[in-house]
Amino acid sequence: MEKPKILLVDDEERFLTTTQKVLHKKGYEVLTATSGAAALKALGEKSVDVAILDVKMPGMDGIATLKEIKRYHPLVEVIMLTGHGTFESAVEGLKSGATDYLTKPSDIAELLDKVAEAYEKRQRLEEKIRIIQSRQSEREEDTP
Amino acid sequence: MKAKDHPYAAMKRLLLASMILLPVIPFISALWIGHYYFTLSLENSTIASITRIVEDHRHMIDSFLEERRNDLEFVLNTHTLESLGQAETLKRTLALLQQSSGAFVDLGVLDESGMHVAYQGPYELKWKSYRDEPWFKAVMEKGVYISDVFLGYRQVPHFVIALANQEGPSKWVIRATIDTQMFNEMAGRVRIGKTGEAFLLSADGTFQTERRSGGSLMQTDPDFSWYPVEDQGVKIFIETGSGGDQYLYATTRLTNKNWLLVVRQEKADAFKALSTAANMIILISLLGGAIIVGVAFYLTDRIVARIQQTDREKNQLNEQLIRAHRLSELGEMAAGFAHEINNPLQVMKSEQALIETIMADLKASGQLQESEDLKDVEDSIRQISLQIDRCSKITHAILRFGRKSEDAVQDFDIQKFIPEIIEMVAKKASVEGIAIHQYIQNGPLYIHGDPSQLQQVLLNLFNNAMDAIIQRHGTIGGELTVISETGDNGRVRLLVKDNGCGISADNLDKVFSPFFTTKPVGKGTGLGLSVCYGIVQNLGGTMTVESKPGEGTTFLIELPAIPA
Repeated sequence: MEKPKILLVDDEERFLTTTQKVLHKKGYEVLTATSGAAALKALGEKSVDVAILDVKMPGMDGIATLKEIKRYHPLVEVIMLTGHGTFESAVEGLKSGATDYLTKPSDIAELLDKVAEAYEKRQRLEEKIRIIQSRQSEREEDTP
Repeated sequence: MKAKDHPYAAMKRLLLASMILLPVIPFISALWIGHYYFTLSLENSTIASITRIVEDHRHMIDSFLEERRNDLEFVLNTHTLESLGQAETLKRTLALLQQSSGAFVDLGVLDESGMHVAYQGPYELKWKSYRDEPWFKAVMEKGVYISDVFLGYRQVPHFVIALANQEGPSKWVIRATIDTQMFNEMAGRVRIGKTGEAFLLSADGTFQTERRSGGSLMQTDPDFSWYPVEDQGVKIFIETGSGGDQYLYATTRLTNKNWLLVVRQEKADAFKALSTAANMIILISLLGGAIIVGVAFYLTDRIVARIQQTDREKNQLNEQLIRAHRLSELGEMAAGFAHEINNPLQVMKSEQALIETIMADLKASGQLQESEDLKDVEDSIRQISLQIDRCSKITHAILRFGRKSEDAVQDFDIQKFIPEIIEMVAKKASVEGIAIHQYIQNGPLYIHGDPSQLQQVLLNLFNNAMDAIIQRHGTIGGELTVISETGDNGRVRLLVKDNGCGISADNLDKVFSPFFTTKPVGKGTGLGLSVCYGIVQNLGGTMTVESKPGEGTTFLIELPAIPA
């Protein structure tokens, strides 16, 4: 099965590099960003399937970043990563279009499960879009 | 404790003093003023009444003497010595006089020399010479004489009225004896109260009438020496009589005779209403005073007790507020702290995952050989993972304390819910020999909240209670009581009561503080009760604890109920 491209967004750099290494080893392609702005920039440059977004970040926080991502890259699935104290913002995140949330500290295995779920959802979505588009093109081909 | 009681004692004294003095002053004043004016008025009216009596009485006696004298004067003026000297005429005249007044006993005619020339009456007095008698001398001199009571020839007390005819060639005298018995009755006839009496005294102080309270005719009144000797007017005074009793006296002199009319009444009798009133006043003062003092003591006790209770409640409330505030500050601090710990824990978890991945890769590629050391390293890594999980559990528990959870909030019947929770621990309880008593009030009691949170609170309390019971009783004699009922102000009262080892007073203040535990390291986080406290508070309730070491502990939870 094709593995999803993941974007990790957190202000904790060591978390980013270590997790990136672990996921690389498991065969995932992982991008990292240390802020909301950097995340949006990365999304603009490369294609990403699932973004894992820390809720609490300096500068643009997780919720604001989520809203921007959904605005410009609606197909990117977002998983919120929350400390327990910011539980309410996780709920707010879900309402603003996040696919799921993870509480810190979370296992890599748990993280990958949620990523897989999100990726499935994304693939189903892409599938639907493809079907609609192909119908559309068929119709276009039919018309002389 | 003594220093704390002191202001109450001072307050009590002040209250008591004012509550006794304020009513007592007007009360006593009213009684005293009433007594004073009543005494004054009664004395005035008693004196006025005795004055009137003595005056009326004097007037009566005076009139009597005047009339008798006028009777004799009429006889004197209408007869001559010769005509009246005839026995027949004298007899008729005496009969006429006796028609006018029954007081006349006899009638005699005396010539100039004092010889009784004619006599009509019950005695044989004719031809007796009165020349040397003092009354004869007096009447010859003055023309009129009324004698004091004397014995005379007859040796019977009597008094005489004698008149001399000054006109004509020779003087002659008529004299009449007045019935002392009758005079006595008339003069003594005075009725005032029980002891009122009237009597006449001669100028030298001998009784001219009998005195009812003792004093025969012609005896000397022992009290005479201090009677006032004024000629006219009524004299009122209070003196101790010879008998030792105090008397109210009214005295006056007769107009027609130098006799003193005395009306007297025992003081106690005359002022009987006064002493009755005085007794009543004393009784009322004593009773009223006793009631005032009694009521003052009762009310003061009540008031001071109420103030003390209010102060105590205020202090308790203050302590509760301070505790709640301290706990919420602690909760916020702990939450911030836990949240910050979660980030490094996340990093550590990633690191541990990386190490495991690399180790697996190295082993797969044969770069790491299986060895004891490698096993130790792997075990160590697992241990790190376990300890990270342990930390993570702690931080999550802290974050639950003071966090509002919006999920799973609903209205639910606590009366159905509690037995379910008790069921969860029933097995453990029976193994440990603990009897569980449930007192669940009939009928549903709905509260609004997350049932799983309340479950967490109750399980925590049940487990704590059972630990305490086991510590004290082992497996025999443990009792856990759960009460759920309607409390005050539409609240639900939940009591969890154990007969375990109890909590010392020092520790009782800290049981709701995060990280406070008496359990050995690693056995408890010290978060259980603080989390319970936070949950109950988020449900809009309160949670308090009472405990006595060696007797047991009671947790009281009050939650707002939803009106049925």
